[in-house]
Amino acid sequence: MKKEVLITFNHVIKKYDDQPVLKDISFEIEKGKFYTLLGPSGCGKTTILKMIAGFMEPTSGDILFEGKKINNIPANQRQVNTVFQDYALFPHLNVFDNIAFGLKLKKMPKKQIEQKVTEALQMVRLSGYEKREITEMSGGQRQRVAIARALVNEPKLLLLDEPLSALDQKLRTEMQYLLRSLQKKLGITFIFVTHDQEEALAMSDEIFVLNNGNIVQSGSPVDIYDEPINHYVANFIGESNIVDAVMIKDELVEFTGKQFTCVDGGMKPNEAVEVVIRPEDLVLTTPDKGKLVVTVQSMLFRGVHYEIRCLDDLGNEWLVHSTKRAIPGSKIGLSFDPEDIHVMRFNESEEDFDARLESYSE
Amino acid sequence: MLKKVKWSQLYLWLVFIFLYAPIFYLMFYSFNAGENMSKFEGFSWIHFQELFQDTRLLIILLETFILAFLSALLATIIGTFGAILIRRFKNRKTRLGFLSLNNILLVSPDVIIGASFLILFTVLGAWIRGFSLGFITVLLSHIAFSIPIVVLMVLPKLQEMNESLVMAAYDLGANDRQVLLNVILPYLTPGIIAGYFMAFTYSLDDFAVTFFVTGNGFTTLAVEIYSRARRGVSLEINALSTLVFVFSLFLVIGYYFITSDEKKFKKSKKSQAQVESEVPVVK
Repeated sequence: MKKEVLITFNHVIKKYDDQPVLKDISFEIEKGKFYTLLGPSGCGKTTILKMIAGFMEPTSGDILFEGKKINNIPANQRQVNTVFQDYALFPHLNVFDNIAFGLKLKKMPKKQIEQKVTEALQMVRLSGYEKREITEMSGGQRQRVAIARALVNEPKLLLLDEPLSALDQKLRTEMQYLLRSLQKKLGITFIFVTHDQEEALAMSDEIFVLNNGNIVQSGSPVDIYDEPINHYVANFIGESNIVDAVMIKDELVEFTGKQFTCVDGGMKPNEAVEVVIRPEDLVLTTPDKGKLVVTVQSMLFRGVHYEIRCLDDLGNEWLVHSTKRAIPGSKIGLSFDPEDIHVMRFNESEEDFDARLESYSE
Repeated sequence: MLKKVKWSQLYLWLVFIFLYAPIFYLMFYSFNAGENMSKFEGFSWIHFQELFQDTRLLIILLETFILAFLSALLATIIGTFGAILIRRFKNRKTRLGFLSLNNILLVSPDVIIGASFLILFTVLGAWIRGFSLGFITVLLSHIAFSIPIVVLMVLPKLQEMNESLVMAAYDLGANDRQVLLNVILPYLTPGIIAGYFMAFTYSLDDFAVTFFVTGNGFTTLAVEIYSRARRGVSLEINALSTLVFVFSLFLVIGYYFITSDEKKFKKSKKSQAQVESEVPVVK
């Protein structure tokens, strides 16, 4: 499939009363993919969404839709629909009229509206709920009505503003599957905004990690999880052990006073760096076999695994996820493979990071 | 515990007796066969018969209702849009400023409002040929003092409305007019209706403002009763008061039935919905 760009942000800056919310953001959204804007509250992700929907104009920079500038085009003339965080269903209308709202405005014939609404309800598995009042629906059902109301207009782009944040865990997982399958089936581009990294990893083709009005890293969930660009991303996505280290030379890194082979390279000799090892990559072993020797501090049963907290002699904390038990107070060894070590440079830009990965990942 | 309940009941009874006694006293004498309230001389409908033969009073009654109907209608339209516009101010200070201006009118004494309108209308009368005190001036002043009431009744509903509802309507392709007609106004309807009835009753029983701005040709029930009462109370007024009281009583009862009907209706719908949801949904 050839790459078709739907939305382009070109050096977009947004300020509220001189307070920058977005600091020079550029990115492209391709057709037919599931994107996630991930970041803590106040990072600017909702601002980006509002600008795409047409509720906000950038202070400077351009927003393009299929190559055409849309900075000043109002929301009601954009082929974009939004699922709002609080669903924003019209309380004075029933389910049918809520979903038909956009179609009626387009003056579509009655028969066709009825057919489309039925189809939309089928899509979100709410067949037969046409006559229900919104007040009679549960949170999860309202959520699905909101999705149907947006999708029935056949937008080129669907925006979802933290739509699952008000649902309980089980419903949430269900909705994640539903959203993902809807996106695949319809081939519509989705942009999903969330602060929940698990949600982002589970659903997306592509994740943009945001912090303080900047895109810190973008890439597939696997790329971002396995190769976070810096401390912030590593910490925000999943759980991680991050320690200071020195890059002796390519593929040799020193931390906790020992040298280990790794698979990273492209830094200056003896450059100060940080190293990430994911908790699930650390394997419990005997102290004499371990690459690291640590003392077990505590152990929690998490269902799928035990969460074991350990301290090494230098005082670094190591978090281990293991199906094996470890007795608090005992000394154990931790082993890992060279691929499990991920080295991060300080203040590396995304371009440099990507270029460096390209250069040695042959 | 028991004693406490009894005391509170006694208290309420006393308050209500105190509040209702003058009205019932007045109504009681409307059935008097005699000519005044000094002595009850026996039951008769004679004052009601007098009332229905008094075409002047009946016309005034009709005009008062037309005035209330019209002024409430226009005040509701103006006030609703006023409330929507006040809500639109993003700046908190301007919004509160406008709201205070609105509320000042609500609490300022009718006498002052009436006097100021009288001055305004006499000035206008000097400028514009054919403009004199009468129905129009009363209508204008009633609209004016009703607008703040409507604003006050509509605003809470507006504040309750989530901004995302409006955004959702735009998002689905609605233009400004469609957002207003299809989303904002339906949402505000309960507040608008409440505002209308408030304005209606305020207009119906206003005396002070009307007294100032009414001319020779036009008078309302309140002003008429006042001027008749000054000449010595005729029991015809008592008969009219009885009828008005019964009318308001029916209004209250009607309101009660409408609201309880609505609740019952909603409840039955809900139970129906529950039955439906017990049937397994075919996926």
